[in-house]
Amino acid sequence: MNLKQKFDAGRFVILAEMEPPKGTDVSDMVNAAQRVKGEVDAFVVPEMSNAVMRMSSLGGAMILHNKGMETIMQANCRDRNRIALQADLLAAAGCGIQNVMAVAGSDPSFGDHQQARSVYDIDLLELLKMLTTMQTGRDMAGIELKGTPEFLLGSTINAGAGKSPELALEELNKKIDAGAGFFVTPPLFDISGIRPFMKRVDLKKTRIIPTVLLLKSLGMARYLARNVDDVHVPDTLITRIRKAPEKPRECIAIAAEMITALRDEGFSGVLISTRGWENRLPDILQKI
Amino acid sequence: MIVADKKPIEEIIEEIKGRTKILILGCNECVTVCEAGGKKEVGVLASALRMYFLKDGLDVKIDEKTLERQCDHEYLEEIRDMVDAYDAVVSLACGVGVQFMAEKYHSIPVYPGVNTCFLGAAEDRGLWTERCQACGQCILARTGGICPVSRCAKRILNGPCGGSTGGKCEISNETDCAWQLIIDRLNALGRLEDYETLSPIKDWSTDRAGGPRKVVREDVQS
Repeated sequence: MNLKQKFDAGRFVILAEMEPPKGTDVSDMVNAAQRVKGEVDAFVVPEMSNAVMRMSSLGGAMILHNKGMETIMQANCRDRNRIALQADLLAAAGCGIQNVMAVAGSDPSFGDHQQARSVYDIDLLELLKMLTTMQTGRDMAGIELKGTPEFLLGSTINAGAGKSPELALEELNKKIDAGAGFFVTPPLFDISGIRPFMKRVDLKKTRIIPTVLLLKSLGMARYLARNVDDVHVPDTLITRIRKAPEKPRECIAIAAEMITALRDEGFSGVLISTRGWENRLPDILQKI
Repeated sequence: MIVADKKPIEEIIEEIKGRTKILILGCNECVTVCEAGGKKEVGVLASALRMYFLKDGLDVKIDEKTLERQCDHEYLEEIRDMVDAYDAVVSLACGVGVQFMAEKYHSIPVYPGVNTCFLGAAEDRGLWTERCQACGQCILARTGGICPVSRCAKRILNGPCGGSTGGKCEISNETDCAWQLIIDRLNALGRLEDYETLSPIKDWSTDRAGGPRKVVREDVQS
C-alpha cells in the first residue's frame, strides 16, 4: 500500500523528515532511514530548508526510493524557474517518485549562501497549478508531454499558532483549488492552538499533517518560544524539560506523546522532524 | 531615468469602471521625459476617457493635475485638499509614485496608468533603452562603463557567450552584444587587460535577496 492508498484508506500515516547531506556521503541519511523503514510510511526530503545548500530533494528522494523507501520530494520556488521545476518533476516521476510537496522556500538571506539571487519565477500557488497542469499531460506552455506524471500533491499550511484560523482557511482553500491534497503544518506543541482552524476544515476534502518537531534541548525550546512566530511552545513544556533529569529522553517522550495525542485527535498523520537527530527516530517511534 | 510606457486605454477603463469622479495625476519627472505620464499625456488620457464615457452616456467627471514629483511627500501634499473630491485617482507616475500616493491617501483607490519598464536613457527620439537594473553594486568601473547586468541577456559577468555573432546578441540581431561593446570600449581606452581579469562571483544580496532595499544616510538625516 502506498502513501496515497493509506490516506484513502483513512490510515494514520507517519512521515519523517530526512535531510540529505551537505556533500556526497549519503550513508548517514540512508542508515537513519533504513532503521525506521518499516515504521515510517514515507520520508519527506526537504529541498534545502532554511536556504542552506545541500544535496537536492530530488537527489535525496531518489537515493531513498532506490532503496525501497517511499519518499515525498519537495519542490520550491526559490531556486528554480518554471523550466527547471518542470524538468526536475518529470525526472522525479520518471524515476518513480510518487509524492511531491510544493513549498515556497526561505529567502537566501536565511541560509549559508546569502549572496545568491533567488528565482521566484512562479509562486507557490502557481507551482501547485503547474503540477496539476502537468498531470493533465501538458506542460506550462501547453505542449503535450510524452508520458504524464502522477503525483500525490501536498503543500504547507501555516496554521496552529498565532495565525487567524479564517486566514489559514482561506490559504488552505486556495491551495486545495490549485491541486494540493495534503498539508503539513509548522511544528505543533499545543493541540489546542490548531483546534479553531481544524473546526473550519472540511476533512473530506483534504488531510492535515501536523509537524512534530523533536526538541533537542531546553535552549531550543526557549529559542522557538521566543523567536519563531509560527510556533507556540507552552510554558508548561519548557518547565517540564527544565525539570527533567535526562533532557533528551524527556524530549523524545514529548514528541512521542504528541504523536499519540494527534492520532487520538483524529489527524490524518504526522510529520516527524528530528533536525539532525534522525538516529533518535527509532526511540520516538518505539514509544508510540 | 525611470522609463515607463503608456498602459492601453482599455485596461485603464477596466480599472476605473464604475467610478464617477476621477483625477488623472501626472508626474513632472522621468515619465514626462519619456512621454508616458507628464502633463501632455495627462491631457491626452483625460480627453480620451471623457470621449469614451460621453459616448457611453455616462456622467463621469475627469480632472487633470500634474505634480512636480509623486515620489516625494512635499509634492503629494499639494493635492491633500482636493483629493477627497474624487473616488479614484489614475496615477501616470512610475510604480514608485503610484505606491507613494496609495500610502499617503489611504481611502482613495489609486490605479496605475503606465507600465514601469526599466532604468534607461533616451537613445533617440521615441526610443528609450535599458541601461541599469539597480543591482546595488555597480561594476561599471571594470567593464568600461557598459553594464553587462542590464545589457547582456544572460547577465554574464565574464563574457561574451558563444551566442555573440558579429557584435550582436543571439536573442536578436537588433540587440548589441554587451560584451562586444565592452571589449570595443576597453580596447579604445587601452585597457584590454581589464578584460583578461576574471570577474569575481557577484554578490546578489544587494539586488533583491533579503527583500525590499533601503538606503539610509545618517549625514542627510541629521
